[in-house]
Amino acid sequence: MHDSTWELNRRAFLASHAGGLGALALTSLLQDQKLHAAEARRHAAVSLTPKAKGVICLFQHGGPSQIDLFDEKPMLRKYHGKPYPGGALETHFDKQAGNVLGSPFKFMPYGQSGIEMCEHLPCTGAIADEICLVRSMNTESVDHEQALRAIHGGKLIAGMPTLGSWVTYGLGTENANLPAYVVLGDPGGLPVDGERNWSSGWLPAVYQGVPFRSGSSPVFNLQSPDGLTGKMRRNQLDLLASFNQSFLDRHPEKSELAARITNFEVAARMQLAVPEALDLSQESEETQKLYGLDRPETEEYGRRCLTARRLIERGVRFVQIFMSGQPWDTHSKNAEQLTKLCQRTDRPSAALVQDLKQRGLLDDTIVMWTGEFGRLPISQGPDGRDHNRRAFSLWLAGGGFRKGYAHGATDDFGYESVKDVVTVHDLHATLLTNLGIDHRRLTYPMDGREASLTDAEVTKCRIVDALLA
Amino acid sequence: MFSKEILLLIGLFTADPAPKFDAQIVPLLKRHCVKCHGPVTAEARLNLSTPGAVLRGSENGPVLRPHDLEASPLWKRIAANEMPPEDPLSADEKLLIRAWIEHGAPGLPTVAGLAATGDGHWAFQKLSLPNVPDVAQTLLPQNPIDRFIQADLEHEKLSLGPVADRQTLIRRLSYDLLGLPPTDMELQAFLNDGSPDAVERLVDQYLASPHYGERIGKVWLDAAGYADSNGYFNADSDRPLAYRYRDYVIRSLNADKPFDRFVREQLAGDELIGWTPDMPITEEVIDALTATHFLRNGQDGTGESDGNPDEVRADRYYTIEGTMQITATSLLGLTIQCAKCHSHKFEPISHREYYQFQAVIAGVFHHEKWIKPNERFVLAPLPGERAAWEVRLAAAEDQTQLAKQKLAEWLTANRPRGKIAWSDGFDGPPESLAERWSPKAPGDDAPGGEPAVALNSAAAPGARIINGQLQVLEAGTAGNRWLVTRQIFDWTPDAVGAAIQVTFDLVDRRVDPNGTPAERTAYYIAAHDFDDSGAKPGGNLLIDGNPATSTTVYLDYPGADQKQLGAIGTTPYTGGRNYGVRITHQKDEKFLMEHLVDGVPEEKTLTFTEDQLPDGAFGYEFCCGRSYIVDNVVVETFDQPQDIAALAEFVKSVQPLKTSMSEAAKQASALKNNPPGKLPWAVDLTPNPPAVQWLNRGDYGSQKEPVGPGPFSALSDDEQAWPESPAENARTTGRRLAWATWVTKPGSRPASLIARVQANRFWQHHFGFGIVDTADNFGLSGSPPTHPALLDWLAGEFVRTDWSVKSLQRRIVTSQTYRQSSRSPQDQLNADPDGRRYTRAPVRRLDAEAIRDTLLYHAGILNDQLYGPYIKTDRASNGEVIVQEKNPDFARRSIYLYQRRTQVVSMLQIFDAPTIVFNSVRRTPTTIPLQSLNLLNSEFVSKRMLEFTQQVFADDRPDDERLKTVFLRLWGRPPTTEEYSAAQKFLATQIAERGGSPEATRQAWLDLHQMLFAASAALYLE
Repeated sequence: MHDSTWELNRRAFLASHAGGLGALALTSLLQDQKLHAAEARRHAAVSLTPKAKGVICLFQHGGPSQIDLFDEKPMLRKYHGKPYPGGALETHFDKQAGNVLGSPFKFMPYGQSGIEMCEHLPCTGAIADEICLVRSMNTESVDHEQALRAIHGGKLIAGMPTLGSWVTYGLGTENANLPAYVVLGDPGGLPVDGERNWSSGWLPAVYQGVPFRSGSSPVFNLQSPDGLTGKMRRNQLDLLASFNQSFLDRHPEKSELAARITNFEVAARMQLAVPEALDLSQESEETQKLYGLDRPETEEYGRRCLTARRLIERGVRFVQIFMSGQPWDTHSKNAEQLTKLCQRTDRPSAALVQDLKQRGLLDDTIVMWTGEFGRLPISQGPDGRDHNRRAFSLWLAGGGFRKGYAHGATDDFGYESVKDVVTVHDLHATLLTNLGIDHRRLTYPMDGREASLTDAEVTKCRIVDALLA
Repeated sequence: MFSKEILLLIGLFTADPAPKFDAQIVPLLKRHCVKCHGPVTAEARLNLSTPGAVLRGSENGPVLRPHDLEASPLWKRIAANEMPPEDPLSADEKLLIRAWIEHGAPGLPTVAGLAATGDGHWAFQKLSLPNVPDVAQTLLPQNPIDRFIQADLEHEKLSLGPVADRQTLIRRLSYDLLGLPPTDMELQAFLNDGSPDAVERLVDQYLASPHYGERIGKVWLDAAGYADSNGYFNADSDRPLAYRYRDYVIRSLNADKPFDRFVREQLAGDELIGWTPDMPITEEVIDALTATHFLRNGQDGTGESDGNPDEVRADRYYTIEGTMQITATSLLGLTIQCAKCHSHKFEPISHREYYQFQAVIAGVFHHEKWIKPNERFVLAPLPGERAAWEVRLAAAEDQTQLAKQKLAEWLTANRPRGKIAWSDGFDGPPESLAERWSPKAPGDDAPGGEPAVALNSAAAPGARIINGQLQVLEAGTAGNRWLVTRQIFDWTPDAVGAAIQVTFDLVDRRVDPNGTPAERTAYYIAAHDFDDSGAKPGGNLLIDGNPATSTTVYLDYPGADQKQLGAIGTTPYTGGRNYGVRITHQKDEKFLMEHLVDGVPEEKTLTFTEDQLPDGAFGYEFCCGRSYIVDNVVVETFDQPQDIAALAEFVKSVQPLKTSMSEAAKQASALKNNPPGKLPWAVDLTPNPPAVQWLNRGDYGSQKEPVGPGPFSALSDDEQAWPESPAENARTTGRRLAWATWVTKPGSRPASLIARVQANRFWQHHFGFGIVDTADNFGLSGSPPTHPALLDWLAGEFVRTDWSVKSLQRRIVTSQTYRQSSRSPQDQLNADPDGRRYTRAPVRRLDAEAIRDTLLYHAGILNDQLYGPYIKTDRASNGEVIVQEKNPDFARRSIYLYQRRTQVVSMLQIFDAPTIVFNSVRRTPTTIPLQSLNLLNSEFVSKRMLEFTQQVFADDRPDDERLKTVFLRLWGRPPTTEEYSAAQKFLATQIAERGGSPEATRQAWLDLHQMLFAASAALYLE
């Protein structure tokens, strides 16, 4: 029976299985012409020399205030309480626009590089010489959902594949026993726009982010039924494999059937691999402290940052850490809320970078800290700030990004990025480049054309060389 | 680092020596060349977007000659990196082009073939009338489908395969037409039916089943983008009436409504029947109006838009654009959204035509009189329905009134009274107020607030007795004050079970009948020290009675240390009722606070410690212009055993009366909110919608000149003029009906395209892939048909049978092509590796809904009730989206589950049910480990298999017979000898492993059943 067709399928299957879980499921679809072509393209797109293998994104839902955290603007203090002198501003909530609101926070230079950041980011300050701070971001909408879709999927509309899906489509995973794209959700609940933040859109569902939950069943159906021992499960799996093998023998042309056999074994291994990856008790007390697991304000976020490191270490390609709701959306009590959020996230975020570095993983791993947009220099109500799509700040670390560098600038009031502006599309192009992916060639057929994350022809995006080490 | 893999891939392709035109060359040309050399921007008049155009070449002549690289300018320009001018092709890509030309450029049409179809794109032509070809193989049945397929195969010395066995065939038919496995009776009857037309009769039986519409309806509902929520924003708000459209689709397909009529109804049902609001309502009217909900299937965030005017406008445009996209892909197989910003690069659709199409539906999406999603309904009750509803509503309201009265009477007679510790009916002379009340708490030295409350004063802030009631009079300024009793109370009764309560009548929320009602009626207990200067902590508990929601409780109110503790009760504060709180000593020095309404404790409660409830007075809060009237303040204690017992007895006996009252009220209000005949529809209310403006680069702020409605020029022809403007006095523009008539006109080019797209859709349903692979794209950039003549014949047959979907499907599933075995001899497999030449039936996995429905069926609990509102789903605490098992509709078919865009039932999603953003014209079945985990470990699967196990053990039968039965039921066929003995062996081992008891035996069988269901033999159709 080992004729040429079977051999062909078998070879395709094995070749892609080496590429990991994502590729495994993809192969099963090779019968589909569309995917057959896509598979060739996927390989063609991964053509650059990679500087990084994996990504951890610390996503800060709501739009962190760049002018209170990363981008000091003395003019804001000078004009505090006075009308904004620059004319009309684009607001989200028109009716509550107030006067210029100076930041109540002190800024100071950190590290050898002297990057200025606010007083509430002492730990991020301590890794200032590792990070690449971008102060000149912009995006396309002042609406949360649309801006989230822009930064995750490159378009304002829902239903696009997200960055993590594109990366796993391009690169697969290095550990077939764990999902390639993991989402570490906030135990407090879903972020705004929910599952769409990690959707695979019109890419095959295998590239969707898999949420790991806290608690005993981090992935649905990870626990065997009560009373079923390992031996009993083994008996079951052996029986199933024999049934499925005889079915495959009847249809050797259908490679999906071979993938299905393998997947039951992968599933059984996942049942062990996932809890092991999430077991933080294996970490030293020192490491746990580094992430702030000993402090109530940082414990929860710290656990997820530490988990992210363990997943990346085990070959997961893309890890997203989300927050419940949209805590950085400081429409009121801006200063008070920012202080609390910095207390929660500053230490664990910086610890992640430090820890990756200590373990020699930082060179291969991109850490990205960002929200979906920034905030306005004027007040909303007495003490809040409204959305701003024209300027926001983010930082990147590791994985081929420049160290101890602050890029670009906004105008005197921090309203608009004016120097060395970076769009979300530029960001995507640059991230993919560091992962060894040609962003123009990583495409998938959609609506009669070859669609990509960056859609370079329309967005005119470019790779920001200045951000690269 | 990936070159090895590329080589491997090229190696794969060289198994078939020439690169494939569709799979490899077309994508490459599209990616690199079509931007400048496409149908719209054909530089040098060269268009590389279609096979015909590639063959035609440029203004300078042919661009390639098969087998001859030197004579092929296409190759030479590419090889020299002259083309594309920027971003030349990679070495691997060049290799592909080179190899393709060297192999004779396979895949390009012959010149003769091109001349026959003319210059235009095949899909935009009128249906050809292909002759059913003659075939050498004469034993075939005379189904024309088979002759088209066989004719193609005979060129290659191949032929259709043998017919599948009956067990395989009935399973295939049952799932394809009903979405469920065949019943045991159907299977037996079919196996025993020796007549030559057994298959035809089985098909007719299935086509006549009411469950047919549930399965085939889903095919159209996916394409039409049906969802039960609005999507777009995070809220993903509910679309509670959309289910009526879903039911309309199921009903229409069950009735085999001619598809052209089905299309016209969905685009313009209201215009089609000339609907007016005073028209008598019939079932036909209801169908025609409900059908137009098709135009409301898209995502719509306009109910939640809260941003600046630009954002609101963008949200509205987004809704319109989504509707256009769904309409174009589902009906015409056209991708049009590129033309929103610029003329389409790949398709002959201009920027202007996009907005002409928008003008067709402008009446439904009226920019100036925008209708939000939840207002898009019409009341169209059938005759008598309204009157019947009014009678029912009046009865329900009477019932509520009666229940209320009964409760009130019972309360008057039975409300338990403890020991009255203090009371005031305000029956004394006005000046007596100061004897019992004070602005200062007992023992405190300063009054509560500045200025203090003036007693017996008509000047605000003041309190006075009038008509035997207490009036609280507050000026319109901010500030907290209190009026408290001169007596203090012990708020922490000693004995467990003992209680203290304070109650009062809220006579009215305003003193002046014309004044503003108080926005709060707040009062204190344990009041002892207004400004918190004393040493005693806790107390000053403010019970903040709210006229709209539950009651909030604050500790240490007012001041910087005030703390909101939470809410109690559920009943808002309105005049004419008796309110208060009761504190009961529970065990462990905990004190329970309950909210009392008319003496009845409510559900939401709070618990306090002793420290938080120091001795103190009762009092009213004066704040912020809240004036009101109260009476009959009573403080009671229940510390005697008989009082405590009476209290408990009261709570027990009041419950049924309370329940019956709230049930009656709930029913009345549900009835009131659901008048009969509430239908979702397009809502087009004007003959003069605002002009649609052409948007420069699709920018909502950059409008060019207005455009009127019009057809797509690629599909229009001279024979069919675009209709004139509507008649005077028309209710709507009539544009939708004009477009719908144009698009379905018999014999026209658009109707030909619709027939092809739909015929392909149903073909795809039965084979897993279409004759055209891109079901949503029949344009120049879509895949060409593998069997163009067959597609045109099928589409023509569809039209000739009065657009009968059932006839079309009957043709398909009774063909030998469909009835073939899915197993092929090896030489056929080699010749037809992907099965697209139809030498065998494809092996297809069950879709998500079929997997869930089959589990319910095997469990013996499938509830096959048709139609109705969607079945609620929930996100469980672990994040999984499920249907609660306690839901009475739990076991109904999956098509009736809540189709919330952001909350797809997890199990269905894992098995590739789409998350509807726009629409879904084809599901791509995946094979992922999460599916394996679901089948191995999920509670849903385990429980269904447990129920199945209970059924097969319900009677006493020998194990070998039982084993054969479970195979037959779960796989639809008996096991092979090897499968049977593997199962036997498993049972023996697993029973021993589980301890050998009778219970262990059952468990082992359950373990077996679960594996049988997880097996490919159960999950796939052969």
